[in-house]
Amino acid sequence: MAENIVEFRHITKRFPGIIANDDVSLSIKEGEIFAVLGENGAGKSTLVSMLFGMYEPDGGEIYVRGKLEHINSPRYAGSLGIGMVHQHFRLVSNYTVAENIVLGLEPVRKIFGVIPSVDMKKANHDIAELSERYGLKVNPTDVIENLNVATRQRVEILKMLYREAEILIFDEPTAVLTPQEIASFIDIVRGLREQGKTIILITHKLNEIKAVADRCAIMNRGKLIDVLDVKTASTDDMARMMVGHDISFTTERKPARFGGVILDVKNLTVKNAAGLDAVKNVSFQIHAGEVFAVAGVSGNGQNELADSIAGLVKISGGTVTLNGHDITNATVREHITKGVAYIPEDRHNVGLVLDFTLRDNFPLRQYYTPKFSRKGVLSESEFETYGEKLEEAYDIRSGQGGATITRAMSGGNQQKAIIARELDMKTPLIIFMQPTRGLDAGAVMNIHRHIVDERDRGAAVLLISLDLDEILDCADTIAVIYNGSINKISPASEISTDEIGLYMMGVKTA
Amino acid sequence: MRKFTQSLIAIIISLIFGALILWLMGKDPVTAYTDLLRGSGLMEKVRYSGRQNMFTDFMSFIDAMTPMIFASLAVALALKGGFFNIGVSGQMLFAGFCAHMAAMILPSKIAVVIVGLIAGALIGALIGWLKYRFNVNEVVSSIMMNSILMYLITFYINTFYINPVSRQSKSIISAARLTLSGFRWEGLKIDIALAFPLAVATALFLHWFIERTTYGYEIKASGLSPNAAYYAGMNVNRTALMTMTLSGALAGLAGVSYFCGYLAAIQPGVVPSMGFDAIAVSLLGGNNPVGCVLASFLITVISKGSVYMSSRQNIDMEIASLIAAFILTFAACSSLLGRRRK
Repeated sequence: MAENIVEFRHITKRFPGIIANDDVSLSIKEGEIFAVLGENGAGKSTLVSMLFGMYEPDGGEIYVRGKLEHINSPRYAGSLGIGMVHQHFRLVSNYTVAENIVLGLEPVRKIFGVIPSVDMKKANHDIAELSERYGLKVNPTDVIENLNVATRQRVEILKMLYREAEILIFDEPTAVLTPQEIASFIDIVRGLREQGKTIILITHKLNEIKAVADRCAIMNRGKLIDVLDVKTASTDDMARMMVGHDISFTTERKPARFGGVILDVKNLTVKNAAGLDAVKNVSFQIHAGEVFAVAGVSGNGQNELADSIAGLVKISGGTVTLNGHDITNATVREHITKGVAYIPEDRHNVGLVLDFTLRDNFPLRQYYTPKFSRKGVLSESEFETYGEKLEEAYDIRSGQGGATITRAMSGGNQQKAIIARELDMKTPLIIFMQPTRGLDAGAVMNIHRHIVDERDRGAAVLLISLDLDEILDCADTIAVIYNGSINKISPASEISTDEIGLYMMGVKTA
Repeated sequence: MRKFTQSLIAIIISLIFGALILWLMGKDPVTAYTDLLRGSGLMEKVRYSGRQNMFTDFMSFIDAMTPMIFASLAVALALKGGFFNIGVSGQMLFAGFCAHMAAMILPSKIAVVIVGLIAGALIGALIGWLKYRFNVNEVVSSIMMNSILMYLITFYINTFYINPVSRQSKSIISAARLTLSGFRWEGLKIDIALAFPLAVATALFLHWFIERTTYGYEIKASGLSPNAAYYAGMNVNRTALMTMTLSGALAGLAGVSYFCGYLAAIQPGVVPSMGFDAIAVSLLGGNNPVGCVLASFLITVISKGSVYMSSRQNIDMEIASLIAAFILTFAACSSLLGRRRK
């Protein structure tokens, strides 16, 4: 019987208005892959962050290797052999792989025996050796900004290993990876276990847990629901415990009934910030009552495609026509009034004014209309009733209702607020850009439901996502974008997952 | 409400600090502090010279406070829109100077106010335009503007507009001055700040403008998150320009109530330090227009009362400035601390 390497005993952690962890006790054995599963806001990240010293518990104790520890900083956690890969990587993008890995623990040599300097040669050599030993392929001298997401993740893992971490924490590690990359990530994790590492995986993707984890803790609303042996538990059971009720994994939907053409994109070309063509000569049409989904690996022009159709970036070639009106390079406000709703990818910097109250965020794109503003004076009562209406209709939960500062809300509820705001405009075209990134299964289901409902209402829906499951779940038509061009457009029923994967990687072109 | 508590804590801590210093100097902090109030006309002095009493002191206090209210409002509005207007001093100077010039042609108080408003607004607009047209950081351009304006105006005053005795500019004609200086009433000589009601009204209006109008909504959204404001269909550039123009206009009002009111002349070679103090006053007031009035009141008590305190207690004036500096530093710290806590 393996020994418990980490023990949480009666951990409680409160944030203003929320109990993030409520008397959670669990133990993790040495050398196992332990998954923590839960919806957003269930408290899984908080729990694990305390192990990594980012927060301190309000009550309860953490034992590491049988010893009571007060982990008050990530540095101290590091000294206990605990490492963490965050959802958003923490790498210096203009440094090389080796420089990033040794940062803070650089091998030092003395010039003339006195002046200390970083021994980059030794660092490169050490990293190459380390990468060899663990089978994590990286080139120590590559610069981070030239590397893809999967490689950057390997660099993050090597960073932990270089620090001789024995307990490795991964926060949502697969959120940004392609199916092929996920498969290889799972191999990496298995390999690490064979080397005797203990792995803690925070995720809400059930199939990954099933594939790789030994045991799995399920959390819901700050409480530990159960710890299951993954081999014997079914995904249905896990899902039910996670959300507290049954969920089905595919959104039920009636067959699509296409109407007339709503959005007509012809030969669209868009430059990115660097002045290079990010979208190249793209043409497609979306009909009323159609979900048109664009699949692709991150960074292949999806952002520019969505932003240009929503009017946020300039179009350098081609036309965009909505309901017969040319909206090419119209202002953002003209796009709103002509009927383009847009759920942007970056909900923190674009979709919301985070320091506004929830109530002030709802009319963000309509505040100037007569409904909210009379002769330039805002109607306080209208803000209030509108806020209450949307909170009710879209089940948006927050500490203090409409007066809650949006920053203080959970990611899922922030996204619900954006979706509520955009869908309530009842526009003919709705653009969803990565609508469920980082959200839990319950929220994902809810958003997919909305996507299909909007389609049934007769809207044209453009769904751009990196998550293939999402695309397969919602799409009537699937397009694959690669390197700024649309490689393939096909009815969803006539294309297989593997085929989509090949188009996504640019292996196949139409 | 939380901001109010923060400011209050800042004030209390600084007063304790100040008391400690006074005590270390062998002075009695309580008497020293009451002397501040006495000097500001908020408590009775031991004796008064001819034609003066507590009321006249209080009226002079109001006179000193008026430009500070405008200046801190200028800073607060700019901060709401995401701008750090460190050029209030230069805008004040320019507005004051233009008003002096205008008063020579048209000696009217209303003309002085209008010219000051427009002059300040022009400088603010220029800074805003440089920001959105060429993406020049407003801190850099407004500091440079401070110097440019100060040297130009100094040159003009020294060459054409100097009072050789005082080594300051000539005084503004009293028909155009915004302070009724030495007004006789019941045997008293009173300084009446005519712009004070305007300052208070402006603060109340600004509060309403920021919180309740479409423009205010746009200013706040653009200040807090320019990307989200753009996504919302707002014209972020136009809003930036408007914010800086309005901020400049408020600084202009500060300028005329200072150089054509509290003072009657312009000292060449310097920019008024009030423009910089106003930044801290605005922070102390939580960037809220009404808070700015309260913070201006407190800071003016210290600066105005310090003259009396130093003469009575034989304490250097600088000690009072030191206490004011403490308050402002703590206010700045507490507002930053408040931001870090989520």
